[in-house]
Order: sequence, then C-alpha cells, then structure tokens
Amino acid sequence: MKKLLHVCAAGAVFLASLVTASAADAKLVVAMLPKSKGNAYFISCKAGADKAAKELGVQLLFDGPTDSNAAKQNEIVENWITLGVDVIAVAAENKEGISTALRKAQKQGIKVLTYDADAMTDARSFFVNQATPEGIGQGLMDEAARLTGGEGEFAMIVASLTAANQREWQKHVEARLKEKYPKMKLVAVRPCDDLKDKAQSEATAMLSANPKLKLIMAICSPGVPGAAEAVKQAGQTGKVKVMGLGLPNENRRYVKEGVTDSIILWNTGDLGYLTIYAGVALAKDELKQGAKTLKAGSLGTFSIVGDNILLGKPFIFNKANIDQFDF
Amino acid sequence: MNTAKRDWKALLTRHEMLLLYVLIAEWLFFYFAGTTTNRRGVVVGFGTMDRQFDILRHSCEIGLLALALTPVIITAGIDLSVGSLLGLCAILFGQLWHDGGLPIPVAAGLTLALGALAGGLNATLITALRLPPLIVTLGTYSLFRGLAEAITRGSITYTGFPETFLFVGQERWLGLPTQAWIFFVVALAVWLLVHRTTFGRTFRTIGLAPEGARYAGLPVERRLALVYVLAGLIAAIAAIIYTARLGQAKADAGTGYELFAITAVVLGGTSIFGGTGSVHGTLLGVAAIAVLKNGLACLPVVMGMNAAEEMSGLLTGALLLLALTASVLPKILANFRSRPHAPAP
Repeated sequence: MKKLLHVCAAGAVFLASLVTASAADAKLVVAMLPKSKGNAYFISCKAGADKAAKELGVQLLFDGPTDSNAAKQNEIVENWITLGVDVIAVAAENKEGISTALRKAQKQGIKVLTYDADAMTDARSFFVNQATPEGIGQGLMDEAARLTGGEGEFAMIVASLTAANQREWQKHVEARLKEKYPKMKLVAVRPCDDLKDKAQSEATAMLSANPKLKLIMAICSPGVPGAAEAVKQAGQTGKVKVMGLGLPNENRRYVKEGVTDSIILWNTGDLGYLTIYAGVALAKDELKQGAKTLKAGSLGTFSIVGDNILLGKPFIFNKANIDQFDF
Repeated sequence: MNTAKRDWKALLTRHEMLLLYVLIAEWLFFYFAGTTTNRRGVVVGFGTMDRQFDILRHSCEIGLLALALTPVIITAGIDLSVGSLLGLCAILFGQLWHDGGLPIPVAAGLTLALGALAGGLNATLITALRLPPLIVTLGTYSLFRGLAEAITRGSITYTGFPETFLFVGQERWLGLPTQAWIFFVVALAVWLLVHRTTFGRTFRTIGLAPEGARYAGLPVERRLALVYVLAGLIAAIAAIIYTARLGQAKADAGTGYELFAITAVVLGGTSIFGGTGSVHGTLLGVAAIAVLKNGLACLPVVMGMNAAEEMSGLLTGALLLLALTASVLPKILANFRSRPHAPAP
C-alpha cells in the first residue's frame, strides 16, 4: 500500500514538473469573464479582446460558464483571485451576486472593470458601456426615419412590455419620434416574449390590421427575423421595411434577400478590444478615476462619462457590410 | 454468508483507499503544477491557503446534496429533485425574509421545514403509491424548479441580505469558512445515522432486498420515507448556504447540482443498485471532484487554452468511469480466475 502511495506521489510530481515547464512568463494577466462562453456574442467580443491582448503583449484568460450561471461566475472570479491575475473584466450575469466576489478581488489589489452588463458601482472601477439606452433609442429611430423618408406609420415588436431594458429603449425611441419626426406615427407595440414564432404571428397580425404600415421595428433579437419572415410570407418585401436590434448571423439571410434593411447593434469586437485596453490602462495606472478620455489602439479615443467608458454610437449592419461580421 | 460479507467489506475498503490515493495524487499534482509566483512576487495558485478554503467553500452545497443522496442511494433509490429543491428553498427563503419581513433565523427555520415537507412529498409518492423513485423525483425535479420560476416569474432576484447572514457564506469562523462547520456537522450526523444506528443498517438491508426486509418485519416504508424527508431537509440547508455564499437567491440556484452530487456518491463507492455504500466514501468523492475542478483552473496549460470549465467536466467523467471500472475489476478477475470457462457476470 505504502509503495503504491509513493508511486502515485512520484508520478504526480513528475507530471507536474512537465506541466510547469511550459508555464507562462511574467506577463500582465487580464482575465475576462463572459456571461456564457459559447454565446456567439461573447465569442465575437473575445476576437476583439484577443487582438488587443496581442497588441499590448498581455496574457488574456477568457473563461466563463458554459451556460449563463451566476454561481459559476462567482467561482471563476474567486479562482482568478487566488491565481493573482492583474485585471478582471466581467460581464455580470447577476449584479449583486457577482459584486461580492469582485469586491474581494479589489481588496486583493486586483483591478476590476465590467463590460456589457454592469455590476454594483462600488465593486468595479469602470464600466465599459457598449451603448446607452439613449444612444440605442435614437439610433433606432433615426435609422427608421431614414428608411421611410421620415413619414408614415410604423409598428414595434418588443420582448415584453415589462422588461426594464426594453422599456428604457422604447421610451427613448418614442422621445426621439416626438422630438424630430412629426410626420411618423407609431401605430402598435406588441410583445413577442423573446420568441421568433410569436414575433412572426404578431407581425402578421400587424400587417393585416394596418394596411398603411411602412416599417416594423423589432427591439429584441428574435423579433427581427420573426418580423422579416412575416413580411416575406405576406409578399410585402420592400413595401414594408424591417429593421431592429439583433445579431448579424440571425438576420443575414433576410438582409441578403432584401427583406430586412438594417440591423442595429454595437460592434462587439470593438467592445472586447476596448475592454482590454481599458483594463491594461487601469493596471498600469494610466487610467484613473475622473479621466475624461481613453486611447485604445487602432480604435482611437473614447470618451468617459463619470465611470462609464462609452463605446459610442451603435453600429448599423446592412447588405453592404454584414459579411464582414460573423456572430 | 459470513465470508461473503467479509468480501464485500474488503472490496469497499479497497475502493475507498483507492479513492484516497487518487485524491492525494491529484492534490500533489496540482500543488506542484498549479502553484506559481506572479509578477508582484506573490505565491499564487493552488498551493495557497486561500485556494484550499475556496475548494472547501465551493464544495459545501454539492457536498451536502451528496450527503443527502448517500442514504437514498443505499436504499436503492434516487432523488433527482435535490438540485431543484435547492433552488426552490433559496427562493422561499428569500421571499420569507424579504417579502414576509421575517428575521433571518425564523425564515431559515421555516425554509428547513418546507424543505423537509417537499422531501415528504417525494416520500409519500414513493412509499404510499409505490411509484419508482426515479420517476417520482424526475417529476418533482421539474415541479420544484418550475415552482421556483413561477414564484419569481423567472426575473426576481432576492438580494441585500444583512452582513451577519452573509458571514455564513463568505467569511471564516474559527479558521475555516463558516459554512464548512455546518457541512461537517451534517456529515457527522449522516455518518452516525448510516454507520452507527440500527436505522442505518436497515437502509442497506432495504437496498439489497426490499421484499426480504419487509418479510423480516422491518418498517420499510417508514425508513424509506425518512431518507427522502432527510434529503429534502439537507437540500434546504444547502439552499441557505448557497444564498449566503452568493448573497442572492434566484430561481436558477443549484441547477445541475443533483448530477454532481450523484457522481460524488457513486465515485465514493456507493452502489447505484443500493445495498452498499458509505458516507466517508461520499466525502472522498466530493473532495476528489472538487480538487480536480479547482486544481484544473490553476494549471497554466489549461489557462492558456481557456478551457478550465470544459476540462473539468471531461476529467470528472473520466475519473468516475475509471473508479467504477477499478471497483468491479477485482471481482471480475477473481471470477475469471476461479472459473476460467464461465462468462464474467
């Protein structure tokens, strides 16, 4: 028995020495936590982050739950704390839950920032804000006005009538409408419960109830392809325009067929890129509380409002550029 | 009979010793491979006390569920609902405290009672209606999670718990993470129940031969009911610890934990067909999985691949299959040697 134990121990030590031989040198280590790792959205964030890490010569750790799981996010952060990484950048699945782990990291001298989804403000130094609700609302409305020539009826599909972010976006769309486009009229707002099928049937109902409809705007990602399918099946392609918030891959087919005109979102690769630049600047003490701008490599200078680093205007994907993006 | 008993015992001891070696080897491996000095000259990684405490802290909830499942599986039953019940209890606890305005200890006490009640539902369906535990708990697995989601409509998260409560999940008491003490007390209680009481011995009898136990005059239904109620109670304890560790109660708490717990129990040498098993084996199983999972995340190679999550799933599976093979191999070999022409069982 004792012999077996010795063999086990020796084997473990031997294996260990093999592994350590390939250990990384002393680079600055930035750890990036997505909400879920397999999500195309975060994979495209990582592509930008990888690029920034390469340019800056830092080691990037990118790990997260395989599903959106708040408890696992905490465990991963706690793991990074004991690994003694230099920077932790988090897209919080759950605001308060993750904040306890982030505060612990800060206590150990690790720089913490958030991106995509913020944590409690005292648990991080900066939030890389991909889009303010105002920016999204205005971007959506301006693009809708551009597509319709600034007049006529349009309808909206939302995820639900109660979700906080949806309400916020809708509010800003309506504010922009009132302020700038008096000849346009919002005739219907319907929820699709974040389901493509439901969005399709709601859009079909909208088309028959509002014969003068010129555009459908969907502000949840399953809503856009759902509305596009309805318009296509009703034979209204081109007559009723479709646009909204979504991911390029989900809408590529409809954009190419000319059913959907524009998809609005931020450039997720840029989000990852900016996050890494911000993290490294924090670790090197180049980015401090109260800073007004941040320079991020090839993307240029970004403005900072309070403790939010703003990615800037939303990005419009259309027939001309959609093939440059894969997420 | 007597020799057969001794053989079983030998096999069991061997399995647990084997697992202990694996655990020690794992630990040494990660100690040497997963510990480094970082840029600031601080020792970081697996070989730090903080890491060891994290391992303990991260394994308390799954460890508790594994403790709950050990007697259940020894009786040849199964309880798939414990993870969902953890989620439901977390929500109920949050609601009792936040919406009900009850003080934390009262809310916790009520939650434990509700957990036991939910275990009682499993117990009733299994013993009174004689339905198979797998089917019953598959039903309550969906039912409990569904209830938790319905109560919160999938969106409410209870947070803002007082510091004194968070102490249970995030701080240390007498040198160890606070929840570890709760875990040890429950472990000791379950160990005493299974290994030191006549009660516990009947679990094994029931697992081996329920009809035989019935003919021998054992109150099979009552004993079975007890293990499921106990499982519910322990799931509720795990729920409170989970809530204290994360500082939040949400309907998705403990998703998939039942499978980790079952893995730990089986890895610990408890037969999934019932009749044999031990609480200390389960504890070793929990530790082996926890060390593997946490250790992997400290390896520079794995970090470079950014695949700690995936690797831990893969290796946990491999470890389980290896352990199972190793535990039946001596028996098959012995059979093969004594009767070379007979097919292996």
